[in-house]
Amino acid sequence: MELLTALAIGSLFAVGIYQMLRRNVIRSAIGLIILSSAINLFLLSTGAYLGTDPAYDGAANPSDGLPQALILTAIVISMGGLAFVLSLLGVISARYETSNMDEIERLTR
Amino acid sequence: MEDLTLLLPFVFIFSAALVAVVVGSTSWLQSANGRSPLTTLAWLLALAPLASFVLLAQKIGLINEGEKLKASLTWLPSLNISFSFYLDGLSLLFALLVTGIGTLIIIYAGYYFQKEPSAWRFLSYLFLFMGSMLGLVMAGDVIVLFLFWEGTSITSFLLVAYKYKYPEARQGAFKALFITGGGGIALLFGLLIVAGVSGETSLSAILGSGDLLRESALYPLMLGLLALAALTKSAQWPFHFWLPQAMSAPTPASAYLHSATMVKAGIYLMARLNPVLGETELWFWLFSIVGLITMVLGAYLGLKQNDLKALLAYSTISQLGVLMMLIGQDTDIAFKALVVGVLAHALYKSALFLVAGTVDHESGTRDLRQLGGLRAKMPITAVLAVVAGLSMAGLPPLFGFLAKETLLATAVHPSLPNFFSWVLAAGSVTAGALMLAQAGVLVFGTFWGQPGEAATKADEAPKLMLLAPAIPALLSLAIGILPEPEFLAALLAKGAEAAFGDKVKVSLALWTGLNVPLLLSIVAISLGSTLFYFRHPVRAWQTNFAAQLDLNRAFAATLRGIDWASDQVTRLQNGRLRRYLSFIIVGMVGLVLLFTQGQFGQLLQTMQNDVQFTWTGSQDFLRLVAILVTVGAAIASVLLKRDFAAIVALGASGLSIAVLMVLEPAPDVALVQVVVDILSVVILVLALRLLPRKERQNALSLNMTGGQADRIRNIFIAASSGLVVTVITLFALTSRPRESVVTPFFIENAKPLTSAKDVVGAIIVDFRALDTMIEIAVFSMAGLGMFTLLRQATQALGDKVGEKRPSSAKKLTSFGIYGLRTSVFVQALARLSLPLAIVLAATHMMYGHDQPGDGFTAGVIISLAIGFAYVVFGYEETRARYKWLSAPLIASGMFVLLLVGTSGWLINGTFLSPVDYGAMLNLSLPTGFYLSSAFLFEVAICLSVLGSVFFMLNTLGHPEGLGQNETK
Repeated sequence: MELLTALAIGSLFAVGIYQMLRRNVIRSAIGLIILSSAINLFLLSTGAYLGTDPAYDGAANPSDGLPQALILTAIVISMGGLAFVLSLLGVISARYETSNMDEIERLTR
Repeated sequence: MEDLTLLLPFVFIFSAALVAVVVGSTSWLQSANGRSPLTTLAWLLALAPLASFVLLAQKIGLINEGEKLKASLTWLPSLNISFSFYLDGLSLLFALLVTGIGTLIIIYAGYYFQKEPSAWRFLSYLFLFMGSMLGLVMAGDVIVLFLFWEGTSITSFLLVAYKYKYPEARQGAFKALFITGGGGIALLFGLLIVAGVSGETSLSAILGSGDLLRESALYPLMLGLLALAALTKSAQWPFHFWLPQAMSAPTPASAYLHSATMVKAGIYLMARLNPVLGETELWFWLFSIVGLITMVLGAYLGLKQNDLKALLAYSTISQLGVLMMLIGQDTDIAFKALVVGVLAHALYKSALFLVAGTVDHESGTRDLRQLGGLRAKMPITAVLAVVAGLSMAGLPPLFGFLAKETLLATAVHPSLPNFFSWVLAAGSVTAGALMLAQAGVLVFGTFWGQPGEAATKADEAPKLMLLAPAIPALLSLAIGILPEPEFLAALLAKGAEAAFGDKVKVSLALWTGLNVPLLLSIVAISLGSTLFYFRHPVRAWQTNFAAQLDLNRAFAATLRGIDWASDQVTRLQNGRLRRYLSFIIVGMVGLVLLFTQGQFGQLLQTMQNDVQFTWTGSQDFLRLVAILVTVGAAIASVLLKRDFAAIVALGASGLSIAVLMVLEPAPDVALVQVVVDILSVVILVLALRLLPRKERQNALSLNMTGGQADRIRNIFIAASSGLVVTVITLFALTSRPRESVVTPFFIENAKPLTSAKDVVGAIIVDFRALDTMIEIAVFSMAGLGMFTLLRQATQALGDKVGEKRPSSAKKLTSFGIYGLRTSVFVQALARLSLPLAIVLAATHMMYGHDQPGDGFTAGVIISLAIGFAYVVFGYEETRARYKWLSAPLIASGMFVLLLVGTSGWLINGTFLSPVDYGAMLNLSLPTGFYLSSAFLFEVAICLSVLGSVFFMLNTLGHPEGLGQNETK
């Protein structure tokens, strides 16, 4: 099962990177989300316990609550970041009338 | 012996620098009537170095008795570095030169800049330099030494570039700083290695660990670095070319820095370290050869110069070569020659520089072709020039003769290898002859011969100005002819001993009997006289010979090379995210491969074991499906052509990630993942809508364009990064010890300390409440940031988005997003969804402590209902409908957060500590619900999130986008 999880996280990471490398800004934003999901999954799966029960008081075999709490924070923050990036995109596209990264770069020169 | 009076010279000199600035910034210097106030100021300020000189001179007695003085201040006790000073014979010799000549230079500068009231700046720089130089030669700790060394580099830059309006001054200053500054970096590394090997930074400790340093494997490296510093600072070949260009400094600075003091810093450094680093083959050959080349080259190049200061600069280079060569030797006579040479050179060269400055000042030129016959107009200057010139020529009965004699005695010392002794002797004789010839050219060409153009308007300088060159010139004579001054000989002997590391006898008698050095001296003098007699043809030939051979060209080429290289490097930085990302990823992949190459066998082993994984039931099957959906949907988001479809695929992927999280099992995270995933999709779609239609078409075509090569490269980068992450994850999963230090604490204490059954919730709102508070603040800032960005952007574009628009709400009723009509059923659903969402959110907050769910989820749930309303009713009507949605939500959320935290502080003494208000007030509440600080915390989070999401939706959901028409 570990191999499968590792492969899944690796593929998500690769997809995220590939999306971010594309020129369409919307796709880059999608890539950003996928990338952070991959990282969150990584943190989650490397938690200290191989628990079978949720991390509740009195659980017989609880999972590790700490990485979960950290990921929760990470999800929220990356959500805020994404929204901000998108509004930047909105401003940029309004100003330069393009969502092609290369053109934006040329316009600022 | 501790002696805190060593600190006084620094107090004097740095205060003088300060006084110069203070006086300069007043208007006192401006009121020039008759005698210039700057001259007066210089006279007053000269008291500082004079007092320092006197103070240091009083130590001669102690030093001559073999005492070593120390003074230290606490600086960095944790690193065992103190701000300490150290005074022995060598330091004192240099310190006396720095303060003594410094005094004269300050007085001279006062006259030199008589007509320039703004030259207080120059005086201030000069004092700063003086303090740095004094610190350099008196430093008792290598870190302090480095500090002052850099101080001299920087202040000399300021002094050389003093006339910064002239390009030569700027170029000369830059070149000097570039080369000596580079040496300074080498010095730092060298000194750190020395300190590392010897284990101490204090000079006295380092001076006691010579064997340790010489036997260290790092010896060649530390010697190389320190030598680089010394050779650049002391203008040795092949770094000598900065010195002539630094002559664009005002003459007082040249006389001070580039003859008497700063260029001798390298000599001082190597002389200081000779007892611990010297006496090796490497040391001997390095300094002998570099010194020899510099000596001959400097003397040769000096003869062909027409500029008085350039001539003096090259002869200085030659003399510095002599000193460097002497340091390379391992005989007592060499170190006698060293200290005698330092003193003799400082005296005659500063005198000659000041004479050259006077000539320049009075006649307006220092070009030998325009000068001549000045002796009638400037008789005193001429006499001083003759005296100093004779010393430079190495003729008896001047001090310079002794310097040359001891040099020649070193060259024929029996301990030298036979052939090298010949080379050294021949080099010294040649250099001596050339020096004599150029001393003649300098003095004769300026003061004798046909009166040149400049001679007619020249006039004798003020008597007191001539005091500055007179004192060193006359000292050169006095030491030569007067009966030997005991204290001076003893001081020089102490200086030589400190550099040699053993006893050195120094006598200042000129006549030492008829011996080989005297014979060689006679050869040098006759050869020099011949050269002087034939000076015109010789100099003409020199000008034509190998004129192309110039290290300045090499320097320029080096600079061009550096420029080119940095240009290439910055060309990599083209401002495109893709480029940077590619570099980062490729770098990461490369590093991981580099460091794990040995472990691939082990990895393969692990993989083989892992392939035969066992099914543990339906959960594993579910996990497999979820993984397939996650990865498949993610890949679909790449392959799907339309952006909208890609976003939907992203949503699917995110939801199945939530399934994976449930299977972990991490229900709290899964819940947040679900709501965040939906919200992300919503705002992505809204953002997509912001782009005008035409652009969206373009964007779609962009997805697939970009060239085959581009795409293959991207795929390669992405695939290799994925591979590396897979490997890392696999390592992490299989080798991570399944134990934790922190988690058991959380599990054990969640219930007793926070009365929460949900450990994750307890961590978020109690154990790490401060983190969560900051997290929410960041999230709120993202929302506020979007709002400000929108305002900024629209204002900059001159649009009206941020403004209130006329009430068009009525006519937009029941038109949804894009102005499309929505069905009544959907509208009813939207109306219902908000109250439902609020109830749902409330239960999340109330029971979040015992069940999955928290304030963030609650906030997002309500926001999603509002987002739905945006889609169904459109922007205008939604805003009209839910007027309570506004910025104060964020503020009130943050306020409640602070209030809850403060209440915990007031009741339990700790900020954000858990308090159960319900229990305190004896309220009867439903089972599982506690009116506690945690609950209020959740409510606060919910409010802030709601406010932030409102901003996000508002910004991205605006019907006109960000300042443009849809129709465009």
